[in-house]
Amino acid sequence: MEKRSILHMLDPMPNNSPFDVNMALDAGFDVLMPYSNVKLDSVYGLTQDAIFSRGPAGVKRTGLFIGGRDLGLAMDMLNASRQAMVPPFEISVFTDPSGAFTTAAALVACVEKELKTRHGKELKDCKALVFGGTGPVGIATGVIASLAGAKTALVDHLSSDTAEDVAKAYNRRFAATLTGACARSDAEKVELLKDADIVFCTAKAGIQVLSAAVLKDTTRLKVAGDVNAVPPLGIEGIKLNDLGEPLLHAVSAPGAVGVGALAVGNVKYRLQHTMLRMMLETDHPLYLDFRAAFDKAREIV
Amino acid sequence: MEKPFILHMLTTAKNLSPFDVNMALDAGWVTALPYINVEPSEVQGLVQDAIFSRSTKNLKKTGIFIGGRDTKQAMDMLKTAKRSMVPPFEVSVFADPSGAFTTAAGMVAAVEHELITKFNTTLEGKNILALGGTGPVGQVAAVIAAQAGANVRIIGRQLEKAQNVADLCNNEFGDGKIAITAGADADKSEYIKTADVVFATGAAGIELLSAELVAIASQLKVAADVNAVPPAGIAGVDAFHNGTPIEGSPSGALGIGALAIGNIKYQAQNLLLKSMLNAEKPIFLHFEHAFSVARDYIKTKA
Repeated sequence: MEKRSILHMLDPMPNNSPFDVNMALDAGFDVLMPYSNVKLDSVYGLTQDAIFSRGPAGVKRTGLFIGGRDLGLAMDMLNASRQAMVPPFEISVFTDPSGAFTTAAALVACVEKELKTRHGKELKDCKALVFGGTGPVGIATGVIASLAGAKTALVDHLSSDTAEDVAKAYNRRFAATLTGACARSDAEKVELLKDADIVFCTAKAGIQVLSAAVLKDTTRLKVAGDVNAVPPLGIEGIKLNDLGEPLLHAVSAPGAVGVGALAVGNVKYRLQHTMLRMMLETDHPLYLDFRAAFDKAREIV
Repeated sequence: MEKPFILHMLTTAKNLSPFDVNMALDAGWVTALPYINVEPSEVQGLVQDAIFSRSTKNLKKTGIFIGGRDTKQAMDMLKTAKRSMVPPFEVSVFADPSGAFTTAAGMVAAVEHELITKFNTTLEGKNILALGGTGPVGQVAAVIAAQAGANVRIIGRQLEKAQNVADLCNNEFGDGKIAITAGADADKSEYIKTADVVFATGAAGIELLSAELVAIASQLKVAADVNAVPPAGIAGVDAFHNGTPIEGSPSGALGIGALAIGNIKYQAQNLLLKSMLNAEKPIFLHFEHAFSVARDYIKTKA
């Protein structure tokens, strides 16, 4: 009898996300086991318990998923589990805290595609702003965009110190070149947008970040992507399913287009599904983080 | 590939009940995942994570179970869950904290069955004493019986607490449409004289109705006890009784014990869990639905 596939779901939080549970089962894992309140220093032991109990054939049917809310911690956990592997006893590991890696990868990949097809530009030619830039999806978006060559600033809605601290911390960790900025008012947003080619909108659900009045004054904006699916949407005038539709209110920015939350969500969904399938189908162990997510998202779009 | 049936099981306690886990898997849910120590404020987030990660077709194969220990909290969480749905992204939800909803439903349905078949009457207008009625099972049994037209009095050791529970039942669970009253344990020798039905839902091993009180219960028809651990909650009613005459009852009252109630509880919980499996429209299940299926089950069995 072929062994059932098992996904061990490690989470530093009290509970896993039902989102990830549904995704993992729909991708074909037979059995999911939740491990909650997991601390970084338990990951090594948990990983070795998972790899030494199923034999070389069984480990191919075994995976580790790392959730949580903290990107840095999730990456540390991924590294800790990787160090615990003892070939040929090794399993695939996928980390996607708060779904941030797959959401961010999908967002940047969608925006990159529109940039190319509508404006003939690459990310490395552009300056990007990440609104809601100090939350999980914002940070992951910023890191991916920065590593892809865009001059990227994380924008906080309260404090430039917060934004700069976060930018520095993630620059150290991933050798990115993020900067920090703050936009408390429409006037500050207009100022920031003066030389921005790209806007990523990753603020909280139900918060409008860019109003028609702010958009009206932008001149360089080329593509704006939004992950907020709860009205009011992050960018005024954008529609949930927009994928390269003109931004209605950006009247002074010729050819500016938008990518809506459901368009991004659709790619995110396919991306997370694909990555979970990869863990089941691979012959050699995979270590999947935001970089793998972005590579795959680029293929999907 | 056919997608599996997934039940997300939320509890405010630090563990799920293995009872509910077994019941869910035996009812046909392929996978049951625990979410523990859930705060009521986290319900919306968990529900929306569950509904936004499957297609509407596969959401019919997705459900949420709400456990815990507190009846009011479970009903509030059920309401929050219902409000968190974003049609067409929605799933069925079933609340049964401590199994209290299905246990209470099983008890009241069993009592009603004896009234109908042995006494040719119904719950309508009957005087019911809910002894040890301040706990989860007692509260819900009182509400179900009151909704069926009975005059229910919740008896507790402290009158004030019993009164608070009666108010909670009337306002929160009965929507202000029922009028459960309260009484002190010290006065039950008075109340028992006019009681038609007794529910015993106290802690295990405590005798709530003595042989002396059974002897003066001159219009008692049915007495039901959920306690399976000796001594029995009602003198003369043991766990195996199922419409069995109670020794020493001047009115020929019948006893219903924990195993008979447990059997109906089991069937009701199983039926509700199954009804969620392929519901065309999402359903939101609590004690009223538990009573409805418990009644149907007894009818079809009889």
